[in-house]
Amino acid sequence: MANIHDNPTRNAWMAKIATLDTLAKAHAFITDFRAKHMSPFKTDWSLELDGLWIELKIEEKLALLKHKEFNDTQLLNNCTCGANAQQVANEVIVKMEACTDMYEAERIHINFRLACKPPVMPVNVFLDTDRLLGTKLMELRNTDYYALPLEELRKKRGVKVVTLQ
Amino acid sequence: MAISTATKAATDALAANPAPVSVGAQEVHRWMQSFTWDFDKNRTKYSTKYKMANDTKEQFKLIAKEYARMESVKDERQFGSLQDVLTRVDAANRVHPKWNESMKVISNFLEVGEYNAIAATGMLWDSATAPEQKNGYLGQVLDEIRHTNQCAYINYYFAKQGQDAAGHNDARRTRAIGPLWKGMKRVFSDGFISGDAVECSINLQLVGEACFTNPLIVAVTEWASANGDEMTPTVFLSIETDELRHMANGYQTVVSIANDEAASKYLNTDLNNAFWTQQKYFTPVLGMMFEYGSHFKVEPWVKTWNRWVYEDWGGIWIGRLGKYGVESPRSLRDAKKDAYWAHHDLFLIAYALWPTGFFRLSLPTQEEAEWYEANYPGWYDMYGKVYDEWRARGCEDPSSGFLPIQWFIENNHPIYIDRVSQVPFCPSYCKGESTLRVLEYNGKKHSFSDQWGERMWLSEPERYECQNIFEQYEGRELSEVIAEGFGVRSDGKTLISQPHTNKDGKLWTLDDIKKINCVFSDPLKAL
Repeated sequence: MANIHDNPTRNAWMAKIATLDTLAKAHAFITDFRAKHMSPFKTDWSLELDGLWIELKIEEKLALLKHKEFNDTQLLNNCTCGANAQQVANEVIVKMEACTDMYEAERIHINFRLACKPPVMPVNVFLDTDRLLGTKLMELRNTDYYALPLEELRKKRGVKVVTLQ
Repeated sequence: MAISTATKAATDALAANPAPVSVGAQEVHRWMQSFTWDFDKNRTKYSTKYKMANDTKEQFKLIAKEYARMESVKDERQFGSLQDVLTRVDAANRVHPKWNESMKVISNFLEVGEYNAIAATGMLWDSATAPEQKNGYLGQVLDEIRHTNQCAYINYYFAKQGQDAAGHNDARRTRAIGPLWKGMKRVFSDGFISGDAVECSINLQLVGEACFTNPLIVAVTEWASANGDEMTPTVFLSIETDELRHMANGYQTVVSIANDEAASKYLNTDLNNAFWTQQKYFTPVLGMMFEYGSHFKVEPWVKTWNRWVYEDWGGIWIGRLGKYGVESPRSLRDAKKDAYWAHHDLFLIAYALWPTGFFRLSLPTQEEAEWYEANYPGWYDMYGKVYDEWRARGCEDPSSGFLPIQWFIENNHPIYIDRVSQVPFCPSYCKGESTLRVLEYNGKKHSFSDQWGERMWLSEPERYECQNIFEQYEGRELSEVIAEGFGVRSDGKTLISQPHTNKDGKLWTLDDIKKINCVFSDPLKAL
């Protein structure tokens, strides 16, 4: 049996990554990959063991293409889709500031990470935005932490109880 | 000749605030304060729900130069003792073989904790705005660097001077297969450096250092001495001299947020989660290392735990913080129940999974079994008779074809791994408080062993995505996994871990394991 570090799944994805030859293609590829395989809300678990490694390889390719196609100003200010990074960040921050529900705040933060995690967004913009979003999410999550009994909390989270002993 | 702007600024500052004429600590400290750094205008890189006050004081008031002078003296004494006196008397070979194995775990794991504490205190330096508070955290960053080196040095010393080096050297390479590694990273890594910066301080300083440092770093020296180990007290007591500063930093973190409205909303929840996170791993693992990893016993773990965790920390230390609104964690009572049996439950599983480790385990001798029964009435009926059965089936002998994990399978006692703490548990064969809870979320099953961890996961499931060994190696044969995970010695075939510490006993190899054809299966798939 193939070992955990070197297996046909990883090889197949490496072949796909090798075909990416423009920043636009690589951006679309990573966005789709993260949404399907890296999201905490995913329902497809087929890449559970190899997903992080494959994502790393896509990020490497994306960063190289970004280096090839972007000038210095773009590297500091633009996402790999071409959008102005600070504008993208500001829109998310405004949305989060208006949010009062922890589950909605969780979706805003997670979706921001899936869409913008570097090298998609420059780190100088991403990290500070992530700090602001994380702070608000933690405030909402930790307010009245014990208010709901576990039974209610399970329902809110949408989990199925398989067994309770 | 023109001078640079920076030099001019420094010259002007000195003219306004003349440097001290002596090296008196208080005078130097007052001088440092006169710089009036305006950190309150800086923004931190890290998220936190709290606002640390800008005028927080720090108790030690130690500047870096004095600190370095003090620590260098400690290092000279410590390394001098190790390299001269203890080497001359061949101290590393006088250690009881069982304790030699325990130190493979304790010092390697503590090294990881110290390493992460460097990052944690760096993060706190960045998050605080009061110059004195920053100074306290800076001292701790330096301490943690020192401690990381000290822990590594213990293993280096044992490997170079002592008996059976495998496991003292390069233990970290087995981190993917050893079931104790992931739980250790949950407390020592994730708990210290992920999430809210103040919550990390609570994990590290208020719980890790103020609560568990006594059992971990002080009690370990008693157990070490009792088992012939003079190196560990030499190093760990030197580490402990720095821990007071860290406890004080934890205290000051709480003081710094006491007047913030957020503290009343979040502090006790964060403290409870931090306490449960830390105790869930340390309570069983420390108890197991002390009692099962030694031949000569100091006292029952439950007594140590009650004295230092329940009374000293939960009562006195947290009581002192009561004026800032801090309450004893609501999970303390559940933790107290676990302090009696959880380490016995864990050793049963650890021994059953011995091939995946990086240290040697051994079954209790008759004399030790009597000690357990005397201190934990009912021990033999639950655990002792199982060990007798395993011994009778030849679990120590490579030619027996018997691994204790087979006993769990034969008797239908599946072993699960708690998603939040990553600690293995067997709900159908345990005397501790663990209960099985399995939830399915988006098509994936998650097992938990208590209500506190379940609530943590329900609140932020994306934090606990770590796969366990059953999920990682589902369908794989054990010897293949051990080889792939670097669990063998330098000959490429003999396992690092062994089910005995008898130096004349036969050592298990990959071939011995392969013959048994033990295949990993994920117990959650059967539900």
